[in-house]
Amino acid sequence: MINVQYLLLCAGASLLRMVAAYFVSVATALVVGTAMARSRAVERVLLPLLDILQSIPILGFFPAALAFFVSALPPGLGAEAAAVFLIVTSQVWNLIFGVYTSVKSLESQLFDMAKVYRLGRAATFFYVCAPASRNSLVANTLISWAGGWFFLTSSEIIALGSAEYRLTGIGTFIIESFERGDTLSFYAGVATLLGVILATYVFLLNPAGEEVLERELLSLHATYAAWRGFISTVWRALANALVSVEGKLRLPPLAAKLAAAAAVALLALAALRGAPRAQPFDLSGLLPLLVEVAEQLPVSIARVAFVVAVSAVISLAAAYVSYTRAEAAALVALAGEALASIPALIWWPLLSAVALGSPLGPPIVAFIVLLQGALWYLYFNLLVYGLASLRRDLDEMASLYRIRGWWYVRTVFAPSLLPSLAAGALSAWGGAWNATIAAEYATFGGRVIDLGGVGALMAKKAAAGDAIGVAVSALLLSLAIVAVNKTVWRKLFELVESRYGGTE
Amino acid sequence: MTVVLSLVEISKTFKQDSRSLPVLDKITLDVGEEFVAILGPSGCGKTTLLRIIAGLEKPDSGKVVLHKQDARVGFIFQFPTLLPWLTVLDNVALPLRANGMSWSEARERAKKYLSLVGLQTFEDFFPKELSGGMKQRVNIARALAVEPTILLMDEPFSNLDPLTAESLRSEILDLWSLGVTTVRAIIMVTHSVDEAIFMADRLVILTPRPAKIAGIVEVSIPRPRDRRSPEFQKLEDKVYELIAA
Repeated sequence: MINVQYLLLCAGASLLRMVAAYFVSVATALVVGTAMARSRAVERVLLPLLDILQSIPILGFFPAALAFFVSALPPGLGAEAAAVFLIVTSQVWNLIFGVYTSVKSLESQLFDMAKVYRLGRAATFFYVCAPASRNSLVANTLISWAGGWFFLTSSEIIALGSAEYRLTGIGTFIIESFERGDTLSFYAGVATLLGVILATYVFLLNPAGEEVLERELLSLHATYAAWRGFISTVWRALANALVSVEGKLRLPPLAAKLAAAAAVALLALAALRGAPRAQPFDLSGLLPLLVEVAEQLPVSIARVAFVVAVSAVISLAAAYVSYTRAEAAALVALAGEALASIPALIWWPLLSAVALGSPLGPPIVAFIVLLQGALWYLYFNLLVYGLASLRRDLDEMASLYRIRGWWYVRTVFAPSLLPSLAAGALSAWGGAWNATIAAEYATFGGRVIDLGGVGALMAKKAAAGDAIGVAVSALLLSLAIVAVNKTVWRKLFELVESRYGGTE
Repeated sequence: MTVVLSLVEISKTFKQDSRSLPVLDKITLDVGEEFVAILGPSGCGKTTLLRIIAGLEKPDSGKVVLHKQDARVGFIFQFPTLLPWLTVLDNVALPLRANGMSWSEARERAKKYLSLVGLQTFEDFFPKELSGGMKQRVNIARALAVEPTILLMDEPFSNLDPLTAESLRSEILDLWSLGVTTVRAIIMVTHSVDEAIFMADRLVILTPRPAKIAGIVEVSIPRPRDRRSPEFQKLEDKVYELIAA
């Protein structure tokens, strides 16, 4: 029997968790992105750091983060904070980069204006930087919201050795139903999850997206005006309050700097309070771990590269369909939004028949999980930014000279999309690495599936409760990924930029 | 003459990588209750001088002295520099709001200055809905609304079509000579000799980089000035000589 009340409670709890994480992400993106764009010093430190953070397997650092939050905060709150933290790490990077590029590309004259008329930090933030970032925040939200759901279940059931935290939520509901063998509840849970995801897109995010992207997305406008009004009222009140305080106080710059320094010091102190409780890492274990990671690396790299390539092909096809058939465009986008949001861990139980049916089953399901962790970055980059960069004059030239079909794709369509294809592929590459942990190793219904690879290695260490081992493996893997980013990807970007970027 | 503002031996050198580019060389000047135009060849550093007066840049040596205690500065930018997401009214009101006024007070004052530049019916428009000339008027209203003692103008008419530019010049002169604003001194940077003689009381001519003062020319022709009058022409010749020297 389905416990409807409990199911709804779980869905509500998950949604609340998502909303909380999303607000944390947006606030972080606004503050960090603005600071990076406005201060050369902050930019120099954070830009390379964020470049790394967005492309490494965050999931691998999660057990360590969990241990930190649980020891620093009261138990219930700690697990909850860790869950929100994980979701934030899956949505925040592209939001930060969006704000950063928006503020960075503002004319410097606007900041001269702000200085001449003595607009303080708060006034400059609320009336210059934040509104300039609005469009890119909305566009990136379409991607980030899906990314958040993808990690939701991973954040709701957290096992660290013998200790396991289960948070009330739809992810937990689905997994528990599956474990009980309650098929009906399992499917009801999956359907509810999809329903909630679709509803958030159709009622809220797509109408907002339509407004800034000037593209049609499948949306219902019934309640949108009310939401929009509510959010802008709250935002305006916040701006008003802070600008009032600033206008009256007129803090000298030194005092403002001191306050910022004090805040950073307090945060560092809080972090230190939590940190020493983790067990010290045995350095002699480092070398064997290094060998282990190195052994498992090639198979994972091959999988991830394959998945990124497949994602690129699928995304190009989807972009072509939605470009040439306007009536399909809205549907293609919504299908992407829904599929992108399906949490990673649900695939295994959902496709258990496939996974357990034949020896080829596990690799197939693993491929789907990887694809799902990677595809959407490419998909949305092409659909949102790529299609916008297609030039009307080139299209007119193509139709004038009857360049059609395959020739059109090869000579006009694909080359025009290459810059956003490259940007999306880099994000997809990071997304796929993150998904390896869920794809290469799974336990469900009493079965253990282990496909090898670095992801499996980290998942096994997490299952054994070795938080430090997971983090160190993830760190080693990150180093390898960064090395690839700095060589292969950089070369690729330079090539694309020099040949396909800009105008003639 | 009541001195409103003094520039004392202002020097500035731009450093790029290893090269250094001296732009201003010990500029000293007193500005009274008058309309001063700073003229010079392009790239000579006249805009840099204006930015230093506005506090947007710091001189390497020398200082800017404001002789009135709470002297405020208004700045008319070369381009309108409006925030596209705020209405015309809020663009003008924002500097007041950010400096401690409530929105309603700030908007009340903004309305007054918008009507002074003839835009009272466009308050609720967004910048992109206005023509170039109208946007420049908003820029002017914003500068006047902070009720400045000194008004700085950075080639304010150079990006307008000739007809719009000419009518805006007359409007600024009207506002200046009628004394309806709080402005006591105007400093305008321009590369048009004609514009400078047409508008200003005194022309300060700068040399090529690094800029020194090449000469100062008083314009005592009563307004409105006729560009074809012999005195106007004679002054023009004199200024061109100074620039060429």
